[in-house]
Amino acid sequence: MALSNYRRDMEGCSRCSSCKWVPFNQIKSWQFAKNCPSICRYNFHAYSGSGRMIIGLSMLEGRSELNDTVAEIIYKCQLCGACDTACKVYRDDIDLTEVLLELRAHCVEQGYLMLEHMALIDSLKREDNVLGEPKEKRGEWADGLPLIDINTERCEVLFHAGCRYSYDPELRETVRGAAMLLIEAGLRVGIAGREESCCGGRAYELGYRGEAENYAEDILSRVKASGAKMLVTPCADGYAHFKYLYPRMGKEIPCEVLHITQLLERLIREGRLRFREEVPLLLTYHDPCHLGRMGEPFLIDWKGNKLERPMSLKRAGRKGEYEAPRNIIRALPGAELVEMERIREYAWCCGAGGGVWEAFPEFATWTARERIEEAIATGADGLVTACPWCVSVLREASREMGTDFPVYDVVEMALKSVGLPETARA
Amino acid sequence: MTLPHVISDDAYKELEEAVGKDNVSREPAVLDGYAWQPTINDDPAKWVKRPVAVVLPGSTEEVQEVVRVCNRHGLKFKAFSTGWGVYSGPTYDNVVQIDLRRMNRILDIDEKNLIVVVEPYVCGAQLQAEAMKRGLNCHIIGAGPVCSPLASATSGWGVGWDGIYMSYGHRNLLGAEWVLPNGELLRVGSCDSGLGWFSPDGPGPSLRGLMRGSSGALSGLGVFTKCALKLYEWPGPPQIKVDGLLLDAKAEIPDNIRFHLCFFPDRKRLADAVYDIGEAEIGYLATRTSVASFIYTFAPHLLRNIAKTVTFRALLSRGLKWGFAIMLVGASRDEIEYQEAVLRAIISEHKGLSIETMQIIPIGSMMLMNFLRVTAIPLVFRMGGLFSTALDRNDTWDSQLDWAEVGERIKSKWIDRGGILDDLADNPFMALYESNMWAHCEEIFQYDARDPKHLASLEPMFIEFSIAAIERSMEPFSSTDYRMRKLVSPLMGNYNEWQKKISESFDPSRAADTGMYCDEMDFDFSKIEPELRARLNRIVEKFKWTEDGPPS
Repeated sequence: MALSNYRRDMEGCSRCSSCKWVPFNQIKSWQFAKNCPSICRYNFHAYSGSGRMIIGLSMLEGRSELNDTVAEIIYKCQLCGACDTACKVYRDDIDLTEVLLELRAHCVEQGYLMLEHMALIDSLKREDNVLGEPKEKRGEWADGLPLIDINTERCEVLFHAGCRYSYDPELRETVRGAAMLLIEAGLRVGIAGREESCCGGRAYELGYRGEAENYAEDILSRVKASGAKMLVTPCADGYAHFKYLYPRMGKEIPCEVLHITQLLERLIREGRLRFREEVPLLLTYHDPCHLGRMGEPFLIDWKGNKLERPMSLKRAGRKGEYEAPRNIIRALPGAELVEMERIREYAWCCGAGGGVWEAFPEFATWTARERIEEAIATGADGLVTACPWCVSVLREASREMGTDFPVYDVVEMALKSVGLPETARA
Repeated sequence: MTLPHVISDDAYKELEEAVGKDNVSREPAVLDGYAWQPTINDDPAKWVKRPVAVVLPGSTEEVQEVVRVCNRHGLKFKAFSTGWGVYSGPTYDNVVQIDLRRMNRILDIDEKNLIVVVEPYVCGAQLQAEAMKRGLNCHIIGAGPVCSPLASATSGWGVGWDGIYMSYGHRNLLGAEWVLPNGELLRVGSCDSGLGWFSPDGPGPSLRGLMRGSSGALSGLGVFTKCALKLYEWPGPPQIKVDGLLLDAKAEIPDNIRFHLCFFPDRKRLADAVYDIGEAEIGYLATRTSVASFIYTFAPHLLRNIAKTVTFRALLSRGLKWGFAIMLVGASRDEIEYQEAVLRAIISEHKGLSIETMQIIPIGSMMLMNFLRVTAIPLVFRMGGLFSTALDRNDTWDSQLDWAEVGERIKSKWIDRGGILDDLADNPFMALYESNMWAHCEEIFQYDARDPKHLASLEPMFIEFSIAAIERSMEPFSSTDYRMRKLVSPLMGNYNEWQKKISESFDPSRAADTGMYCDEMDFDFSKIEPELRARLNRIVEKFKWTEDGPPS
């Protein structure tokens, strides 16, 4: 694809600014009415979904040129998809996120790169992860757990930990617990351990498409070889890329793909996983963009006039996963769920995505702080989410704010109630 | 393409000092975010003049300083609030765009006196959400909840479906803080006397007529940084609980709200019924509608198919033509029952029928938020990407129905030619004011700006609409289009000469961008049929004012 392939999308922008707001039916207050961290932080129209489309059109028409300033504007965006959802409330013919992704690919093609992103891609090429950690340590998170090594044995469920869970010591107990919960439920769970690689989704988001394709090939071959009937991941980013990006690149995963929350909910429903302990907390849930609106499965690459595209083929975020994590929270004895104002398709982003945390960390935590404020406004005892990137940046923001407002992973909550097996402890 | 008009380094540095370095830009790609203004813009290019810089002031003082910088350096300024529509963009080559989005606070809600004080970047949806928590509501304009209530009240138009109960934008204005084109600050109304914001006309200066006239100066006379607006009673819940985003909405419908879709056998019965509704003083929101316009709004895919089917086309265009939508809101069960009984009696007397849609949950949910918050309005972009409007005017309800028929006839011709999208032609935006005797009508048409045939149709169609308006002694969108202004002003007492004089008095150094206020330009008459041009010439010759006064 090229930027010019999205010319009709960009020309279609009416500059109505709906992309800057929570869909209007859902605006509940002055304070939490906006949906786009980028335009809220930087204010110029160029930092909105519409503004970036206009940048693309302006460049296509030769009115302006790509330069360092423009590239930075393009990258100061979490690719959270909130603008796209808001736009698609009204429009059938604009795929805003696709344009944003194409702008990044254009930057890479033209050599306008963020130094921090280059370091990330370099880490990917050398160590197969986006965190600059050594490849040989990737499987250490699972040391001592009764998991199948898919490099030597076939399995029923392939557990893809993802980069952040594999290396972040603060999240180790969560990822070990996630795997143990599946084993507790009687599943034969395999991992690639040291051989697990990044899903490649972050590379795609940064505009490095060749790298993304390579990693998709790698994951695909590993899934096939494992014989797994199910690929499950606790990483919301990975989940979205498996569900959307891979099929879009023509690399559909040949088995069921689930996020850990979807599988846990199923196991609870089937009685294979039982909550025992009370969790007497009032909790609010943060929808990770990549599990929610961005986790909507790939439908079809519509080639015709998008004005005539059937509604059922419009990717508007509705088919993302919103209920599974909430159902887990609801199933916790003693726990109560209270909602923030911006939820589901119109949730405010945590701030970490799209390469923002790597290149513009202050903007990432600025975004996360707003989410913490929104969570505190509910009166909840803590915020629960279902993505390692969200957990990490929200915790960092909470620390920065000095609030000590707790941020949990859904898996942590499940473990509290199931009773954490000793072997799961890091 | 002749683009580069640049700002001097000295002027740019002063703008940086005025608002801070992070709040000013002259990056071409950033500036183009302000130059792309396709909505209600019949220029096929869709780009307006690119500003030489954009600034994001955070306070009234910063706005004043930006305006002074423009005065010192021979630059012009153009301010906008939320930036909806072509009126927001520059019309000169040396314009500093003032984007007011950092001035975004609701400063005060005086519940007892039904007054709110807002800054420019508060949008209608935000204000309504906060007002409803306090049992109050605000007028939201027809362009939708994304728009700034301050902008429509001080600088533009303020027409909407809630006009029957909440009137229109500038009628709700209770005072304003106004940065004049030379940077001085003027407070209009009682707020200037330190007595609060209860009155726009004093004690304190009352300059509403000069300040905004009929249609607003659209930043051509300065920048408004605060204003007070009247609020209204909202006897519903503090927050209407809705699942879903729009078409999938499921709402908890309060039992003191009813929404009736009414149909009448002919135009006269519809007109008479609405006058009776006005005399009965019932209704919270109301508009004329047709089933076709609902289908085009909510199901354009379906309409594309229906448009090809002669039978359905006839049914929708004629059988369900004379429709009227009205929302009733009662402060008590007795009141809502009274209002509904009155409505049913009026409908019956005029041989109409009605469907109470709140009982049909999927439709009722959609209608509730669509009308209360005007949330469905941006669907006007859905059919082809863009829309425009013509024949904007205010007059009696009866004559507005005539006007809608004129618009429908003109549109039908252009639909047949393939110049605009087929929405079955009958699609006026109509609203009632207060007791219903006075109403608003503008004819909406949709097009796809990516279709060259549509682009080529825009200006000649607009001229045709305008000629039709002039022939009927109507005000055809004249206040905002510099071509219409030039054409119409001589027929209307040379009103624009007065606007120019006001502009010169307030703005001796010509710092404000007056393109949308009092500038004039010629239409490209070569694009229209000679017979139309001849018709126009005959009217202009007959009715134009001379220096001695009106035509004999």
